Amino acid sequence: MPVVETAALTQRFGATVALDRLDVAVPGGVTGLVGANGAGKTTLLYAVLGLRRPTSGSVRVLGLDPVADGSELRSLVGFAPERNVLPDEMRAIDFVRHLAEVRGLPRKEARTRASDALWLAGLGEERLRALGTMSTGQRQRVKLAQAIASDPRLVLLDEPTDGLDPVQRNEMLALIRQVSSEFGVDVIVSSHVLDEVEQVCDHVVAIDAGRLVASGALSDLVGDRSGLALELVEPADSPGAAAAVEAALAASGLKVRRDGLRLVVEGADHGELCDRVRDAVSEASAGLRRLDSRRHNLEDLFEDRAVEEMRA
Amino acid sequence: MSEADAAVIGAGGVSEATDGGARIFGQGYRRYEGDRAGIAGAVWSVARHSFRAALGLGRPARHKILPVVTAAFSFVPAVVMAGLVAFLGSIVEGEEDFLPSYHEYYGFIGMSVVVYCGLVAPDILVSDRRNGMFSLYMSTPLQRWSYLAAKAQAVIMALAIVTVGPVLVLLLAYTLNGAGPDGLGEWMLALGRILGAGLAYAALYAAVSLAVASLTDRRAIASVTVIVLIVGTSIAASALVGEAEMSAQLHLLNLLLVPYTMVGVIFGEPVSTGGLSAQGVVLACAGWAAAGCALIWWRYRRLEVG
Repeated sequence: MPVVETAALTQRFGATVALDRLDVAVPGGVTGLVGANGAGKTTLLYAVLGLRRPTSGSVRVLGLDPVADGSELRSLVGFAPERNVLPDEMRAIDFVRHLAEVRGLPRKEARTRASDALWLAGLGEERLRALGTMSTGQRQRVKLAQAIASDPRLVLLDEPTDGLDPVQRNEMLALIRQVSSEFGVDVIVSSHVLDEVEQVCDHVVAIDAGRLVASGALSDLVGDRSGLALELVEPADSPGAAAAVEAALAASGLKVRRDGLRLVVEGADHGELCDRVRDAVSEASAGLRRLDSRRHNLEDLFEDRAVEEMRA
Repeated sequence: MSEADAAVIGAGGVSEATDGGARIFGQGYRRYEGDRAGIAGAVWSVARHSFRAALGLGRPARHKILPVVTAAFSFVPAVVMAGLVAFLGSIVEGEEDFLPSYHEYYGFIGMSVVVYCGLVAPDILVSDRRNGMFSLYMSTPLQRWSYLAAKAQAVIMALAIVTVGPVLVLLLAYTLNGAGPDGLGEWMLALGRILGAGLAYAALYAAVSLAVASLTDRRAIASVTVIVLIVGTSIAASALVGEAEMSAQLHLLNLLLVPYTMVGVIFGEPVSTGGLSAQGVVLACAGWAAAGCALIWWRYRRLEVG
């Protein structure tokens, strides 16, 4: 059974369509919810939590209806919001313990688990510090700790690496991976940084302007396709050479994306890809300024979508 | 480390025995398979937490000063009277009219209750909207209505310190010095009335102050507004009835007079303000409370989570 399942989920705010007929099935493990700022990620997370009644369509989370069974569902879900504002005067241990209690744990159990969660998040020594004295990285860890302290079945993390430096970001991603792989808790991570989603997630749901761009296992979406990035030069006697190269490569069955004199070409076999590119460039009498290998990545999903929309 | 500690921590991870007998306990992640408290538990947890925070408990010392000082003002008359009864008991014996009755005591502390209310109630509601806790609470089993119920409970508990506490001190002082109610039945009746009157007083001011606090994100503005509103209705109603000679029913808008009169009604005293009836006073209290609740609900239904 999917952890989260939506059917034609639509969320409107006046004239703005935040989610547009979204059909998504999120399996267990770590799922990345990716998209640009304003794509609808947070709106989807709030729909999953039952905090906003969908305009139309449906959501089911852990087999429950978030609107009708909101309280029951939210006792099984840990949530770390994007907003980094926390009660400054509260000690980290009190903050995590209190929210564990509110999520239904008995007082003694909440106290023990709050301490454990802070140790797991790397804040064991800092657990008695006031939140207002903590760095951004530490506050992000506290938010993660409060999300896992009540032993949820699902954890929703909204931009958990926001404001972190590269070292802190890697540590946070490792923690998220640990929550799923070692603790057996399913995690949905929203992020606009595609690299980190690729680094930590098993599955991906990509949305753009409220619409589904792609959804599935990361390996299926990224695949094993290799690619080349070219930057051409059009000699004076060969105007339109770049377009000719694009046409030749496309005609040979390769996936090509062109932006002026820059092309991205993808194919299954790297050697064959190189040969075809060499031939196409040569036949078009184009100059080659730059040639890089590149792997197909999540960014390509969005670029493909943009190209399709332009063509449409 | 005790065996009990070892059991708790050891349940979470690996424990190993070393040659020297020392043991290393891993603090691994443990599943929780027990029951969860549900909404009732969540409401109580938030109410207790908010109550403690409003009194400055678990916060730096500066947050304790104002609530403690204003609450202390409400106890001063009770302590003075307890002292008088204790030291001058033989003098006042048979002259119990010298002592204020329980409901009259609320006349002594009316303003200190208002100031205390203005300080405590906004802190309980406004802070959550400013520091992100409201959104976090909404991601828990709490819903808007249960969250507000928890906050109302916290405010009533905090206000009950000054609306119930001093009168209980008075009851104990009178009782210990032989000036209290006659017999267990009368004593229990007095206790019930003190609790009922104090909680009703607290509930009315909780509704009014939370309604004000729901309208602004600035705690200081909410505090001042609560005090100005309560005192202002008193001045306005008195002026309209006394100076402009308008209907005495306008006293029902007086947020200082109405709860005081309601307390008298609960203690079985006749309504002393001309033109008002006991029923009218009770209805006015209910009306103020209902209006406050409606305003809070209207505000929070529209409040965005995020």
